[in-house]
Amino acid sequence: MTDAKRPQRNKLSEQEAIERAKQGDAGAFQFLYDLHKRRVYSLCLRMTGNTASAEDLTQEAFLQLFRKIGTFRGESAFSTWLHRMAVNVVLMQLRKKNLPVVPIDETTEGEDEGTIRKELGAADSRLAGSIDRLHLQRAVDELPPGYRTIFVLHDVEGYEHNEIAAMIGCSIGNSKSQLHKARIKLRDLLRVNRAEKAGKR
Amino acid sequence: MNCLQFENALSDYLEGDSTSEQRAHLNSCSACSGLLADLSLISSEASSLREFDEPSIRIWNSLEAQLRREGLIKQPSRSLQPDFFHRWRTAWAIPVAAALLLAAGIKLYQPAKIGDNQPVAKQHIPAAPAVPVVSAEDKEIMNTVASRPPAQVAAYRNDLAQANSFIRDAQEAVQNDPNDIYSQQLLMNAYEQKQMVYRLAVDQNNEDEQ
Repeated sequence: MTDAKRPQRNKLSEQEAIERAKQGDAGAFQFLYDLHKRRVYSLCLRMTGNTASAEDLTQEAFLQLFRKIGTFRGESAFSTWLHRMAVNVVLMQLRKKNLPVVPIDETTEGEDEGTIRKELGAADSRLAGSIDRLHLQRAVDELPPGYRTIFVLHDVEGYEHNEIAAMIGCSIGNSKSQLHKARIKLRDLLRVNRAEKAGKR
Repeated sequence: MNCLQFENALSDYLEGDSTSEQRAHLNSCSACSGLLADLSLISSEASSLREFDEPSIRIWNSLEAQLRREGLIKQPSRSLQPDFFHRWRTAWAIPVAAALLLAAGIKLYQPAKIGDNQPVAKQHIPAAPAVPVVSAEDKEIMNTVASRPPAQVAAYRNDLAQANSFIRDAQEAVQNDPNDIYSQQLLMNAYEQKQMVYRLAVDQNNEDEQ
């Protein structure tokens, strides 16, 4: 394909697009949206488990970003800025709906430990070195909201425990222990899924 | 160290803080080594969900409309339709223009009818580029028009070559970015253009036969 025919937006760098968006260029806004839409939407969808909410939150996160783009000076990466904003938008929404952003220990502690103990002996039902991505996505969506938040922020998005603790207002120790429980819960869900699949064969 | 103690410290182990006691326990306990392997796998696979889902085009449509309402997009509003449709319309102009040109070309090169006082204009059709007609369908369509005047045959050959070139470019764009909706649309338009060339050739043949 010749340069003349190739879409113009492919030639833009993110930095150029940011500068052009500050001037009100529609194409630059769309370029930035296209560049980051999957990551932001996936984050919103994983954390809410609901398509309609994820669409609203994605729009809200980009809207907040574009409203403030004039203040972006490039001290941090644009993507870091955007993703942090998206996380804040989602957490605010979860709080508005009174959904737990931190798991409630009291109701799950005993149950989880029992599950873990029980499963420890079942060495023959390991995940066998591979996880289907679609199954993992479904299992994450089945996690209780509080566990899901911690798991998505740490294991999917790559935030550190101290960052998560600051974002959701819990201790670092709490973030660590809840992440552990979320992983255990996921393991159970994936193993049940695998057992069901094997049973159908 | 027993299994419960190991498990209580498992988070730290996964973060990279391991002790010799933990390592010794792992070597002797298949249940704990299995648990560790599973949790490590879950943790490492999780990042694959980072860009897992494709958002609906509705989001950009609403976002663009809102950005315009708030004056953040300062370009004159062509309309509130998303850029997707603007591009689509522009892309559609290509096959439509090609079809009109083709139709005009055919009309100009039809033999003068009895009683038609207008002389047939001596139009110059640019020579078709030396792109060979390769596919079986292309050969078939060229056979269909083979009995027409040489200038018409040349025009069809030229249009087919252009349509094939358009398809190749669009295919390349899709290969470069399979998720790009504009490239996908470009490819659809390219096929539409070729379909129009085929249709015109066949329709013209049917008219000739009636």
